[in-house]
Amino acid sequence: MAYSDKVVDHYNNPRNVGSLPKTDPNVGTGLVGAPECGDVMKLQMKINPETQVIEEAKFKTFGCGSAIASSSLATEWVKGKTVDEALAIKNTDIVRELSLPPVKIHCSVLAEDAIKAAIGDWKKKHGVEVLISEKASH
Amino acid sequence: MSISSTSTNPPLVCWNCHERTLGTHFCPSCGKLLQLPQRIDYFALFEMPRKLWIEMNGLEQKFLQLSWKLHPDNFVNATEQERELSLKRSSELNDAYRTLRDPVSRVEYLLAIEGERKEGEKKQQAPPELLEEVFELNESLDELREAKAAGEDLAELKAGLESAEKNFQEKLGEVDKQLQAAAHKWDAALQGDAATRKKIMARLNELLNRRSYIRNLVTNVAKELAEV
Repeated sequence: MAYSDKVVDHYNNPRNVGSLPKTDPNVGTGLVGAPECGDVMKLQMKINPETQVIEEAKFKTFGCGSAIASSSLATEWVKGKTVDEALAIKNTDIVRELSLPPVKIHCSVLAEDAIKAAIGDWKKKHGVEVLISEKASH
Repeated sequence: MSISSTSTNPPLVCWNCHERTLGTHFCPSCGKLLQLPQRIDYFALFEMPRKLWIEMNGLEQKFLQLSWKLHPDNFVNATEQERELSLKRSSELNDAYRTLRDPVSRVEYLLAIEGERKEGEKKQQAPPELLEEVFELNESLDELREAKAAGEDLAELKAGLESAEKNFQEKLGEVDKQLQAAAHKWDAALQGDAATRKKIMARLNELLNRRSYIRNLVTNVAKELAEV
């Protein structure tokens, strides 16, 4: 199976590799994994509590090329977006952008989960907002 | 002998004598090799209930008997249809034996035919409490590779990884024990209600996920350490 050019590009030049201080109250950390292949993906975002804009995003992924490309792309996409905009990113968007084959769709799912987990972690740190958004959804 | 309803084959019409037959491999009326039923499962192929504890000697005996009976050598003078059937059935039998012989692939297979584990359909969850450790271990592996490339002293990193490997080996042993316990529960609930069976299947699935994660790690660490 051949990887698409975009996957190869992200794999060779991954964007935003690294980490942010986990204990920073404005940093949300998402750690997710796919048991099928043993991949593990960490995505972190620094979110401005006033504007809810994601100012910085970093990732580190241990896994196949598609998993690395999916998380690399995810960090590119979330930067500059608001929390709500980032939550609207679907794994199918990643599949389309990277032309992932069906056997690699779970990599894009992992990236979507990582975005949601990171934002979830940030919201948890800002306990009040969780309560508000929970109220709103009921 | 009572066989659980889950393991019996649906009746099939014999291609040769057109009798409805409940035989698994040969037609009881005309003795011809039967076509492979559409949805035969490996347990049914060996005429066993869908139990996870299998007596290995018995399984091997059955496998040898059946491979002898189904073997293409017995059909060299038969019609082309029968020759093809014998080939297909023999290869199916080999797959079935290989799958059921290994306790882990047996559980995987059971969950697949029971609809608990479908590739791509149901999202498999990674065990969350393991992720942190997995991530850290992967980072240490990275450090080891970098240090190796830079020609640095590896003794400390190596010692750390060796103890991590031991720790994960122990975890693997634990998961295997838990899998065994859950398998016993499954067997005991073979005739039980659907809710109980579903619960045990979910547990088995969770344990399999945990196991494959740990297994991968142990393999990676062992490989990396062997190259140092």
